[in-house]
Amino acid sequence: MEESSEDKTTQYLTFTINNETYALKVINVKEVLEFTTVSKVPRMPDFMRGIINLRGSVVPVVDLKMKFGMGETEKAIDTSIIVTEVLLDDELVTMGLLTDSVKEVIEMSDEEIEPTPYIGTKIDTDFIKGMGRKNDIFLIVLNIEKVLTVSEINMVSAQEEKAE
Amino acid sequence: MNQFKETFKEEAYELLGNLEDLLMEMEEHPEDPETIAAVFRSIHTIKGSASMFDYNGISGFTHSVESILDGVREGSMNVSKELIDLTLLSRDHITNMLNAEEDVTPEFQLVSEDIISKLNTLAGIKTEPLVPVSPSQVEDKKQKDTVFNTFRINFKPSPEIFMSGTNPLLLLKELKDFGECHVISHTSDIPSLDKYDPLSSYIRWEIVLVSDRNTDDIKDVFIFLDPSSVVEVSVVADWHDILNPGSGKKLGEILMEKGLIKREDLENVLDSRKKVGEVLVENGLVSSSDIKSALEEQHITKSLKQTMSDKSTTSIRVKSEKLDYLVDSVGELVTAQARLSQLALQFKQSSLISLAEQIERLTSDLRDNAMSLRMVPMGTTFSRFKRLVRDLSSSLDKRIQLVTLGGDTELDKNVIEKLNDPLVHIIRNSIDHGIEAPEDREKSGKPPCGTITLEADYSGANVILKIIDDGKGLDKNAIIRKAVEKGIVGPDSQLSDEEIFKLIFMPGFSTAAKVTNVSGRGVGMDVVKRQIDSLGGIISIESEQGMGTTFSLNLPLTLAIIEGLLVSISGEMYVFPLSSVQACIELTSREREDHGKKRMIEYRGSLIPYIRLREMFLDDSELPEREHIVIVQAENSLAGLVVDEVIGDHQTVIKNMGKLYKGLSYITGATILGDGSVAIILDVNRISALARKESL
Amino acid sequence: MKTIMIVDDSRTVRESLKFFLKEGGYNVLEGSDGREALDILVNTEADLVITDVNMPNLDGLGLIEELRKSANHKFTPILVLTTESQQSIMEKGKSLGATGWIVKPFDSEKVLAVVKKVIGE
Repeated sequence: MEESSEDKTTQYLTFTINNETYALKVINVKEVLEFTTVSKVPRMPDFMRGIINLRGSVVPVVDLKMKFGMGETEKAIDTSIIVTEVLLDDELVTMGLLTDSVKEVIEMSDEEIEPTPYIGTKIDTDFIKGMGRKNDIFLIVLNIEKVLTVSEINMVSAQEEKAE
Repeated sequence: MNQFKETFKEEAYELLGNLEDLLMEMEEHPEDPETIAAVFRSIHTIKGSASMFDYNGISGFTHSVESILDGVREGSMNVSKELIDLTLLSRDHITNMLNAEEDVTPEFQLVSEDIISKLNTLAGIKTEPLVPVSPSQVEDKKQKDTVFNTFRINFKPSPEIFMSGTNPLLLLKELKDFGECHVISHTSDIPSLDKYDPLSSYIRWEIVLVSDRNTDDIKDVFIFLDPSSVVEVSVVADWHDILNPGSGKKLGEILMEKGLIKREDLENVLDSRKKVGEVLVENGLVSSSDIKSALEEQHITKSLKQTMSDKSTTSIRVKSEKLDYLVDSVGELVTAQARLSQLALQFKQSSLISLAEQIERLTSDLRDNAMSLRMVPMGTTFSRFKRLVRDLSSSLDKRIQLVTLGGDTELDKNVIEKLNDPLVHIIRNSIDHGIEAPEDREKSGKPPCGTITLEADYSGANVILKIIDDGKGLDKNAIIRKAVEKGIVGPDSQLSDEEIFKLIFMPGFSTAAKVTNVSGRGVGMDVVKRQIDSLGGIISIESEQGMGTTFSLNLPLTLAIIEGLLVSISGEMYVFPLSSVQACIELTSREREDHGKKRMIEYRGSLIPYIRLREMFLDDSELPEREHIVIVQAENSLAGLVVDEVIGDHQTVIKNMGKLYKGLSYITGATILGDGSVAIILDVNRISALARKESL
Repeated sequence: MKTIMIVDDSRTVRESLKFFLKEGGYNVLEGSDGREALDILVNTEADLVITDVNMPNLDGLGLIEELRKSANHKFTPILVLTTESQQSIMEKGKSLGATGWIVKPFDSEKVLAVVKKVIGE
């Protein structure tokens, strides 16, 4: 990945949250689902929306909008869950991402992704790999492994201990 | 005997002397294949005669050396100075063993192992423990898994068989040693007396043999037979056929298989409504002895089905992943079936409902069967602790025997696997803190050797596992002192024995005055409790000072599927394990107001505290008019958990919720409901503990 | 008690065989070559003859021929001592009327198994 040959491109899936377009490496995407009933898991942070039944397996769903501090995702006609496979602490975890809508698959080379400009954004920029531009649309390229920070995973896991 | 060994020794010394010269030669011409072959042959010959004359130490050692040298002979290993040094060393070692009175001694064994391990390192082979090879042990290694086959053996000795000194009856006798053997003699070829030659053989035999041997073993019996004698061995039913209920062959089929009749013959006969055998004989198609032998074969195969199936069930081995997969699939099926039943009720169509009910019955049978496949007896786990007890007690200068009872009690293998750590911990604890030193025991009038008993038994859908020691028992005062010291309880608290014992499960609690390397590793009994909790089990203690302590683990039979109680809270579905549910009581808004802040409800004459789960779940939506209290057995006492609605029983297939929720121990997992949505399975014990903590 | 005649020119083989067979409960006669054995067997009964092949004076195959021609050993079982490589010798022996063979090197178990096979216990 690091070797920079000019024509080396990667496929990304684009989707929107709050009218902004985001991109995610296709390699991380298992499938895209329509919005389905999400069962709440008690005493979890709000952005952990709950769990869904994916053909007999239980998959957690993260509300990205809420995670980014932009309010709760409301169910609408285009609301989708992108099922991703992410390496967290050396363990492959299946995780659903709640998004407003899923757009398309595009190809981008690493050169087309610029590092995140240092601006006073409210959100923690660790999970943003950079900014891309395709067909005159700005894309926020996500670093999916970092969407849940280590401290968040630990917070989730250690929640009970904290309560004790 | 001695004189006889002397002969062997003379021969061996000669070979060893020769070997020394050969090795010197090898050093000069390392590539010479003939020298290599000669070195190999010397060792080989010594090995052969040593094993022949019961020099097991020498034969075991030379066996290993030989296999290394075989590598040299095959070209997979080079002749090096090290190899020659080690082979010389081997030669000297063999000479020493030969000189000694006895060649199997611990000292010799050590030297043997040392040389072999060096040779193996040189050859790049992992060293395996060296076992003196005697012929019978070699045989043992050859034994494979027991599989029973039914063979049909057709044995027709040539007329001149006696001329080679062969006695055919001895061969039949040999076959009888192989298993269950039925011999049918066909005597129709015996001529009338005037034509009879006493030096000739006229009989032929058919043998039906059920044995764990293979066809080659059977053919080996006839290895010396002259070429004009006939021996045909065929497998008529392998163990698979025997187990298969529909596999019995009809008489006609057997006769056809043997080539005695043709299909047309059979069809003709089948038309006449008489017994097939009788008609075939009447028509002169087969002889009555042929019918007899075919009937015999049919009979044996049938009668063996039962006995063999008993034997075979113990011999079928299935990979455990396959079982897990089966149980998972059955879990899916249970879920799908629940959905079907729900749909059927919605459609209100009687044929659909009855089909759904039928599938429900089948599914439940299948589930029980699948679960039973994963059940394994506790015995194997028990025996593993023998070593632990032996090693630990001797390291602490204590004398302890381990007694195990109910080793045939079966549990889901996944439960058993997860039991190992907590059991090790409890047993270590008993050895370390429970059982006294022998002299202390004698002072208090006990036998110097302490006893730890592991006992397993069924109790309804659960298994009760007890770890009993006859040691000094728990010191209640010491426990209270410690608990007060640690601020776990107030200095004036009045506690029952049970409550005192439960204190040792509190995090950070340890009664050991000093930390020993046996039980003090920074993990306390709280970890044990947590592990048992996570299995859905309950741990409790009984103890009497001076008499001993008993840990009781009440464990579910399986982890995969449980009976659950489905409830709803604020529109979300939850499942409680039915085993911990005692009762459900209504809670009206009026009662709610009456209780006020004192949340207690009367149940069977006593007041029980209740917890509103929606509050615990930080849900501040409006309370429904009517709520329900589920009375549960939690932490050895009763508690009420308030939910909105009680839906009913639910066959709960437990799904893992994955890494992200791993830390939430008040959640056992999730399950998929009939409508495809997901419900959370709550751990009643952890929920109550958490509630108590938060209300403090 | 059954009697077995051992015929071999090697003292080690004779002694070991004798030992195994006596342990197995058999009575043992010895001959250091075919001729010597035949001389004994002419007027002695034996239940089994175990013979080596390569021997001076009269070799094993010759001994088999002679015994099968004799009046009292027409049906006496005969085992030939061979090594694994001597397939042709086994066949030759069989065609001359040998009952079977014992492959060298042998141990007590092997010897007694083969003996049991041809003459019983």
